[in-house]
Amino acid sequence: MSDTNRINAENLHAGYDTQDIVKSISCTFASGTFTGIIGPNGSGKTTLLRAFSRVIPSSGILELDGKDVRDYTPAEFGMALGFVPQDEGRPFSYTVLQVVLMARYARTSRFAALTPDDYARCHRALDETGVAHLADRSIRTLSGGEWQRVLIARALAQDTNVLLLDEPTSHLDLAHQSDILTLMCDLAASGATIIGVFHDLNLAALYCDRLIMIRNGQMVADGTPAQVLTPEKIRNVYGADVVTSCHPATGRTFLMPVKTTNGNVSHLKSLHIQVISGGGSGAGLLHFLAGRGLSLSAGILATTDTDYVTATALGIPCIPVLPFSQISAHALENLKVMLAQADKIVLSVHPVGAGNLPVLLALRDVDPARIIIHLPEGREFASYDFAKGTAAAAYQNLCAAGALCTSTYNGILRLLSPIINGD
Amino acid sequence: MTRTISIIIGLTITAIVTIVLCTFTGPAGFGIPSAGHGTADIVGGIRLPRVLAAFFVGASLAVAGAVMQALFKNPMADPYILGTSSGGALGASVAIVFVGGLFVPIFAWAGAVIAILIVWSIASRRGIISVETLLLTGIAVSFFFSAIVSFLITISGENVHQIVFWLMGGFWNASASDAILSACILVPAGLLLFFMGRDLNALSLGEETAAHLGIDAARARWSVLGGSTLLVASAVSIAGSIGFVGLVTPHIVRMLLGPDNRVVIPACVIAGGILLVISDTLTRTFFSDLPVGIITAFIGAPFFIWLIYQRGNVK
Repeated sequence: MSDTNRINAENLHAGYDTQDIVKSISCTFASGTFTGIIGPNGSGKTTLLRAFSRVIPSSGILELDGKDVRDYTPAEFGMALGFVPQDEGRPFSYTVLQVVLMARYARTSRFAALTPDDYARCHRALDETGVAHLADRSIRTLSGGEWQRVLIARALAQDTNVLLLDEPTSHLDLAHQSDILTLMCDLAASGATIIGVFHDLNLAALYCDRLIMIRNGQMVADGTPAQVLTPEKIRNVYGADVVTSCHPATGRTFLMPVKTTNGNVSHLKSLHIQVISGGGSGAGLLHFLAGRGLSLSAGILATTDTDYVTATALGIPCIPVLPFSQISAHALENLKVMLAQADKIVLSVHPVGAGNLPVLLALRDVDPARIIIHLPEGREFASYDFAKGTAAAAYQNLCAAGALCTSTYNGILRLLSPIINGD
Repeated sequence: MTRTISIIIGLTITAIVTIVLCTFTGPAGFGIPSAGHGTADIVGGIRLPRVLAAFFVGASLAVAGAVMQALFKNPMADPYILGTSSGGALGASVAIVFVGGLFVPIFAWAGAVIAILIVWSIASRRGIISVETLLLTGIAVSFFFSAIVSFLITISGENVHQIVFWLMGGFWNASASDAILSACILVPAGLLLFFMGRDLNALSLGEETAAHLGIDAARARWSVLGGSTLLVASAVSIAGSIGFVGLVTPHIVRMLLGPDNRVVIPACVIAGGILLVISDTLTRTFFSDLPVGIITAFIGAPFFIWLIYQRGNVK
């Protein structure tokens, strides 16, 4: 059972009027799998899903459990495939239970009443999506997230082997997102075929065992999240720059966008900026500056430091050293070369003890006018001193020598600007 | 469930009481008129057919309104939304102006059905019909037919009075055969729509939803359109276009019993009948037999505004 193909599409075309939105897609979906369909806005994700659920006409081969979907009677189809729309109009005040009971219409004659079993199944579905307490409420009084969970409960109560979800978590809060998607994983584990359209790529990567990426109605990638969610593919398909990594808490592929277009810093793009940080103080700063497209390098960073993880993920060069060890003379020499090459140096104030004091002292040899110090609002140099006053003194001396100080990231951008104007 | 059943039973009793009381009510006061001979004929031969015709027409309009609202996913839809009333008005006007007032009900019936057929054929493409297109086409065809009716009124000369009265709707000429005819259409069409109740429930959440739930959406749509067209055409041919009964009754019923169409449809038969019988009795008793459409609009419009206001306040 676990290897049967539930849905089989070959050379599938579908669309509206005369225009094909889905073009020549071929894929199969086995039982016991949870597949995510991803792609940019307007790429045809939802159209593909609607072609599968045959609410729009399609051409090409499209089989459900080995039978052409167009050969199913409406009731047979309602027992074989469930569909959760993104949203649904609520013109009338049905109760939640009334709406979920509609899932059982396909299994009941129009001249017969629903059985206690039907009611039990619907109550169980309400329970599974966490809306059992809303059973007697009017659907018009529900929030968007509650309504979405009712729609999911209705599809569950259809008791179908195949479940199609169109952005099933778009209205859900964090806890309910994971509840619903875990439920879908469990259903897949017990043999169901789940196909969902996702905008949130991290969510898709976290729960789906397979992703299909489409662009302009055509399949461009099909595989595990790690195979599909590569920075190259994301750039090609979404036109966005991301870094990918394996998330430490989940072990799943994780994406982070890095570059945002920001016109008002374009004049800074010719600058090379050296960031000196440590103990996680520079992670946010590196991401902020990298996101504005600036050329960056990081300083000496222990490989256990969050700053090191960030710099590596963003592809920013740095000088890695072993944690809890003395900084070698070699590393210090490398740093001095980097300092000399940088147009500007941003010093993110960080805890300094005997071990990393040499880095701070190396800045004495740099023209203070090239240094910008970032000290968070309400903090003092003394609170970063773990070297019996010498570190605080070193910070103070840089300020006294003429290094500029700011407490915000945007302040750094402002301080970076004048040198271009001045030149 | 018990609440639903007791409300339906209560409505049924109210309907029977209303029919009996209204049959014995007239300009001469309550009871069997004592003066003159042939008084029993007034009650049995004139009032009873009129009361029953009003009941069946009210029931037909209310049921048609309820199913149109479900089909169009719009609680503001009314039974005339697809051009039936303007089609009926055109048919009746043609009969009055060109045929000397003969066969008005037949012409009105034909006009109503022709209007719907035109709307259907314009709105359907390649066998597929979209509810939104249907709605817009209905509005366009209504305006077109109304324009022709207005033109006929301007050239009708002395017949203008007759057309205008017909347009406002009433039961002056309601006969026993009218009552029987409307019952003969109400029973099968009402049963058809009642058994399409759950399809209507699913359709009222959207055609695609209905399809996903295993409902034959296309068949349901055609049956609902067919059934309601028969109901509205028969109502229009007997009593002209009486407004607001078909719009307001389903709302009252849903407020009492919820939106499940398997309950709403039978309840609309009773409630729509009661409302129109009472309105018609009011007009023939107290308002020298004004067109009943004036009474229903006079009561229905403020009530409807109150409903819209409520809708804004209460979810």
